[in-house]
Amino acid sequence: MDILKNAARLAAAAGCALVLSTAARAEPVTLTWFMWSGSDAEVAAWKHVAGLVTEKYPDIKIEFQTASWPDYWTKLPALAASGQLPDIISLQSMRTPGFANLFEPLDAYAKKDSFDLAAFDTSIIQGLTDDGGLRALPYDFGPMVMFYNQDMFQKYKVEEPKVGWTNDDFLKAAKALTVDGNYGTAQSVPDVFFAYARSAGANYLKDGALDLTNEPLKAAFQSYVDVVAKDKVAPLFPASGTPSGAQANGRFVAGSVGMYVDGPWSLINVKDSVKFKVGIAPLPAGAAGSISLSAGSGFGISSSGKHKDEAWKAIQVLTGPEAEEYLASNGRAFAARNAQQKFWYESAAKGVANAQPTIEAALKTAEPYKTTAEWNTVSQLFEQYAPLAFAGSQSAGTTLDQIQQLSTQ
Amino acid sequence: MQLKPSAAPSRAGTGRAKAILRDDRRAAFWFLLPSFLGLAVFLLLPLAASLALSFTNWQLIGQSKFVGWRNYVNLLTIDPSFWQILRNTFHFTIEYLVLNIVISLTMAVWISNLRWGKRFFRLIFFLPTFTPLIGSAIVWLLIFTPGGFADWFFSALHLPIPNLLTSPDLAIQAIVIVSLWSGFGYNLLLFGAALEAIPSTYLDAAAIDGASSWQRFWKIKLPLISPTLFFGTVMTAITSLQVFDQVYALTRGGPGSATATLGFSIYRTGFAAYKMGYASAIAWVLFVIIMALTILQLRVQRRWVHYDL
Repeated sequence: MDILKNAARLAAAAGCALVLSTAARAEPVTLTWFMWSGSDAEVAAWKHVAGLVTEKYPDIKIEFQTASWPDYWTKLPALAASGQLPDIISLQSMRTPGFANLFEPLDAYAKKDSFDLAAFDTSIIQGLTDDGGLRALPYDFGPMVMFYNQDMFQKYKVEEPKVGWTNDDFLKAAKALTVDGNYGTAQSVPDVFFAYARSAGANYLKDGALDLTNEPLKAAFQSYVDVVAKDKVAPLFPASGTPSGAQANGRFVAGSVGMYVDGPWSLINVKDSVKFKVGIAPLPAGAAGSISLSAGSGFGISSSGKHKDEAWKAIQVLTGPEAEEYLASNGRAFAARNAQQKFWYESAAKGVANAQPTIEAALKTAEPYKTTAEWNTVSQLFEQYAPLAFAGSQSAGTTLDQIQQLSTQ
Repeated sequence: MQLKPSAAPSRAGTGRAKAILRDDRRAAFWFLLPSFLGLAVFLLLPLAASLALSFTNWQLIGQSKFVGWRNYVNLLTIDPSFWQILRNTFHFTIEYLVLNIVISLTMAVWISNLRWGKRFFRLIFFLPTFTPLIGSAIVWLLIFTPGGFADWFFSALHLPIPNLLTSPDLAIQAIVIVSLWSGFGYNLLLFGAALEAIPSTYLDAAAIDGASSWQRFWKIKLPLISPTLFFGTVMTAITSLQVFDQVYALTRGGPGSATATLGFSIYRTGFAAYKMGYASAIAWVLFVIIMALTILQLRVQRRWVHYDL
């Protein structure tokens, strides 16, 4: 009997201790985080950053879930529709109009904690904001810039692109490099075209709505496709499962194309996979100057999540100075926090010609890449219809008419 | 009157038979229940749900509301791409169906007449059927890409054929070629098995009677394998109306809408534009078309399919 009594006492004591210990600590929470990724190195980087959250808040664990870039935008609404949205979800600024209502507005959280939003670049904060408020804290951003194969320019003794170069300089260089089976440049759609159009003084939006049928834009698109159709200094990309931007990147990395336009987020992968020296330059200036479009991404809180306060704590760490320094030093992100951008210059841009002056010049004139809610459709229709114009099968104007009609029907 | 004496025992007999039948039915019910539940949950319910969806404007995110027949009316009257998509789908189906049946039947007859290597050739031609199309389509993309192997091949033969993927008139041929490569092996195997099953006595008798090999094919082999031929035709027609993988991987419906088919259009409307209600409406139009064509084929088969061996 004594043994039993003792056992009962022991159990009671243990019970008390358990109750006390749980009262002292917050309930441990596992947050799910959904983010796109394209390689094992990227996944490892995100998992490292997720570890920083647990380091700071031992009660918060993060379960990382991922999908490829295009699949992410198919899965995200499907998860939302089935009520399975992860606690932390990722947003790219160009998709803000389409997906904003899946994200909890962060303004009230930031105000409550007097969180310093001024530490971030203002254009990307704007890009992740819609009428309802700020939807995500940014981790990266960047203007589109011209990537070029420095070895190819030197081999054919062509003057390298530099800050202040124009469309005429660009065409001259592209023609000079189109020799020995190589192409001078590669034209992808639609993002790069819209930056080109802005530099030419044309616009693709009117009062926030898609406006592809205005004459200046049609003229700009005609001269953009003529680089392929008439001048033949860029390869013709078919409409296919590989987006034109990825095809351009593939040709450039393979060394058969001298220039192409991409964002600073691609620099680390490009630099690691090419066998030549890479340089970057601002977009060539058109009639309105060199106007690039800047876009970026961040992490937000699912509006239907159960652990919003914990998720708010987590995304502050995921986009905090330490995480940003890590991502920038690894070349994974051109940091959205101004103070951490120097780490990107020291790593991803190391050995890349003109990196810092190019990004700084591009940022001075860059606009946030504004889009509409149907952007996914617009992008896909450009991939599908633009090859008709590039091949010269129909005019650029007709192509824009079709895309406008199909995306707003 | 003659029935009367036997009426009593027979009534008892039917009573017992009914009881047995009742027991059988009960057992059958329990045996069928699991698969019926599966059918209901995974097939009938989604079917009903998609029919219901087709009358809404559900966009995955946000509220949806009932819009009546508007999706169907838009599709058939306003949508600028629907008729083109329908034309593409029929163009592909007819061309692919005819070529598939002709090629697989010719090859099956050829292989069945071989003295050796029957199994080897059947295996070789069947290989693409169990290769995932989405993977092999990427290889085909490299072959067809401008400046790729196909362009080199045509120019080496001095054939004035433009690049298939970038030509709006010829892009669908690329889809047909890839589909044939991946799909004819199945019918080849099917027809091959049917040809093997023909009793050689019929053919021997015909040969002794002086029938040429051409006559033996048309008058004996073809009628005898007609049920298999019919099955192959119906199944091929259904899968080709639903064509998606090749289009998705190879052309994404382009250039323009040159290769956009109904199957691809359902995907694009649903998962790129997120218009689930509209996509469901397209899916039901496709369902009705497949249903109608299959009923038509079942009607017409009476004239050419012989089930008596």
